[in-house]
Amino acid sequence: MSDGNLDKIPKPESTLVAVRSVSKHFGAVQALNDVSLDIEAGTVHALVGANGAGKSTLINVLAGIVHPDSGTIEVDGVEVEIPRPTKATSLGFEFVHQELNLVPGFTVLENMTLGHVPSNRFGLIRWRNARKRAQEVLDLLEAPFSVDAPLRDLSVNEQWTVSMGRALMRNARLIAMDEPTASLTDAEVENLFGIIRSLRSKGVTILYVSHRLKEILDITSRVTVFRDGRNVGTFSTDELDRASLTEKIVGRAVAGQVNEARSTDPQDGEKLLEVEGLEDGSAVRGASFAVSRREILGIAGLVGSGRTEIAHVIAGLKQPIAGHMSWDGEEYRPKSPLDALKKGIAYVPEERRSQGLVLTESVEFNINMASISRGVLRKWLPIISVSQSRQGAREVMDSFGIKAPSVLTAVSNLSGGNQQKVVIGKYLRTDPRLLILDEPTVGVDVGARSDIYRDIRGLVESGTAVVIISSDFDELVMCDRVVVIKEGRVTESVTGSEITKDNLTHLCYESKEHE
Amino acid sequence: MSLINVNKIGGDGERGVSWLWPAMARYGAIFVLVAMIVVFAAIDPERFLSVDNMINIFNQSALTAIIAMGLTFALVSGDFDLSIGYVASFGGILAAWFMVDQGWAILPAAGAALVGAALVGYVNGLLVTRIGINALVATLGVGTVVLGLNYAITGGIPAVIDNETFLDFTINKLWGVPYPVYVMIVVAILLWVCLNRTPLGKAMQAVGGNRTAAEFSGIRVSRVREICFVITAVSAAVTGILLASQSGSATMDGGQSYLLSAYAAVFFGSAVLRDGQFHVVGTLIGVLTVAVGFNGIAIIGIESYYQYVFQGMLLILAVGLGSIGRRIAER
Repeated sequence: MSDGNLDKIPKPESTLVAVRSVSKHFGAVQALNDVSLDIEAGTVHALVGANGAGKSTLINVLAGIVHPDSGTIEVDGVEVEIPRPTKATSLGFEFVHQELNLVPGFTVLENMTLGHVPSNRFGLIRWRNARKRAQEVLDLLEAPFSVDAPLRDLSVNEQWTVSMGRALMRNARLIAMDEPTASLTDAEVENLFGIIRSLRSKGVTILYVSHRLKEILDITSRVTVFRDGRNVGTFSTDELDRASLTEKIVGRAVAGQVNEARSTDPQDGEKLLEVEGLEDGSAVRGASFAVSRREILGIAGLVGSGRTEIAHVIAGLKQPIAGHMSWDGEEYRPKSPLDALKKGIAYVPEERRSQGLVLTESVEFNINMASISRGVLRKWLPIISVSQSRQGAREVMDSFGIKAPSVLTAVSNLSGGNQQKVVIGKYLRTDPRLLILDEPTVGVDVGARSDIYRDIRGLVESGTAVVIISSDFDELVMCDRVVVIKEGRVTESVTGSEITKDNLTHLCYESKEHE
Repeated sequence: MSLINVNKIGGDGERGVSWLWPAMARYGAIFVLVAMIVVFAAIDPERFLSVDNMINIFNQSALTAIIAMGLTFALVSGDFDLSIGYVASFGGILAAWFMVDQGWAILPAAGAALVGAALVGYVNGLLVTRIGINALVATLGVGTVVLGLNYAITGGIPAVIDNETFLDFTINKLWGVPYPVYVMIVVAILLWVCLNRTPLGKAMQAVGGNRTAAEFSGIRVSRVREICFVITAVSAAVTGILLASQSGSATMDGGQSYLLSAYAAVFFGSAVLRDGQFHVVGTLIGVLTVAVGFNGIAIIGIESYYQYVFQGMLLILAVGLGSIGRRIAER
């Protein structure tokens, strides 16, 4: 970053932002309940809590997107109103939101300058200055792409970097990051932490929202825990460890989340799905592996390794150009997701909002979306039974513990974890024999996460095979077997005690360094 | 804690209108309709509130309602259809051609006209989904081609229809109600059931709501969109055939006047009962609201050209109330 841009002198122990008794409700949901909070200047301050606990709402209040019902915000001890996002910007607040709000048709540079284009006195954009600044920011972020790259050519992870870069374009005093590491690999997380440390040393305050407790413990100095819209306490990070923090978030002690002994031996099942020499002409370059009945297979790989694309081919979203697949011993060539679902293969996509949900529609609508024909009155009479589809939706809500006022609530009003449960429930309604989960717990809180793990285990017990694709290698510990994907090919397959985070990380990078 | 809650309720009580804006978002358009009925009823109860006048309003709505309810489908799935006006004329011309030039009976002629319109709709759908032409452009192009066909079939002269039974269809009444009103009711029920109670209808809403999520859920997105275009075109042709019966001849672009009123009704309808989504009942209410307005204006004796001022303002008022209501309710 160029000098003089971010060198506000840190004033230790001075409060940058003070939140005073802020409350906000959405319909029947009390999103924030009398929340008070001091954010010290020049610190990395974590907001943690289950999904729907109120973190994102508080961020949105500071961003001028949500207007509190009562309470006040003080900046530098002065009461301020933040009626709209431009006001937040003028206060020096920047936001890296959970959802990428970028324009796919624009270049990286255009996206980074969106909304705050430096213009000359004729109102024309000073592209040279903007470009220089953007390049500085991208260098700082160690971005591997050019400022002129079209955004649509970038991976999700690279788009995150752009989103982060946009926040750094201006001279921010406070940067709020909502789940910044959700799609990052460990190395990229380390890089991000380096950036955060350098920003902090320049006096920038960071508000850090994450479900990854390890990161919270590593990078933040203070932690505020939210539960049910209330601030249940602000702690110095030094006083906390993983167990105590988890307990504070959930409100009770929780058992270890992953890895419990399985009652059945997965290896005795015959092969359900076999993939051989699969190629899709781009990211998938000769992948071979098999999934057995009653098996939880993990797919580990770095972002861009082709792991999601392999799942897309299996789910019928993409046609292979070479190789073949067999399902249940028969040749398997899905032409569409419908073909795959008919065979009993369900794919839960990685982006729940853009690929999984119709946000404006109800919980019921979304849960029934992949199994619409199930609720018809008679085979020959394609009329949907309202009571039956509602009943089905209620069952899914109950068995997954989806928190929503009713089945008719629009899913846009649900928290991330509950939305994810709706998406998984939608595919389980199709009664799959193989369920492929792509990043199932990104943006999902500890409680909901262990619910999802429990449900995965229950599925396997009842005879469904599960494939989990994840960047969170901790999560893959629950698998019976993990295949490592590198450059579109399976390079390793590990089982049992070899499945550890360190080993998987090692395997993901190891072969990379050979080439 | 309890103190805070009391404050909270007190806070809402002070504003006292926390229910008003959400209600306005959903019921604002209906409020407009009711308000108009009350005003007209107060000004001239005898003429406005008479049974004959009510039937008259429904009869005047029938043709617009049918084409507009059909158009709702193209919009529900997230597309657009500019060809409906010409397709309506096409339906009337085909029916007339089969009856007059080919000597077919009414039902087969009307059936053949609907099949012809369905083909046009299918072509619309194919161009949009398989080739990927923007729906506005594709349907504008197809509509223009259809206009050309209309001229080709009729030789540029309106096709005069001499089949008395056909002409009487839009005049005859059952229990005092003209046949077109029944057609409107039947079409409304069919389309409502299709959109709200069939897997196909749910798929249409899913496709309109999030195309990617629909595809990932195993919905055949392209096919669903094509079917929507077919339904839109067939409904337009039904209106066109009734129009031919009403006017005694089929003209090359007689259906064109329905294009904008249909769009107005569908968008008006999106502000009715549901938050900005297109639906059959909303569209029907949209058409009726405009008809009530026109009727009232005529009864009061205001110059008829003010009807357009009224129609335009009505659309903006209803949709505007809905948008403002939603925005305030979401705060």
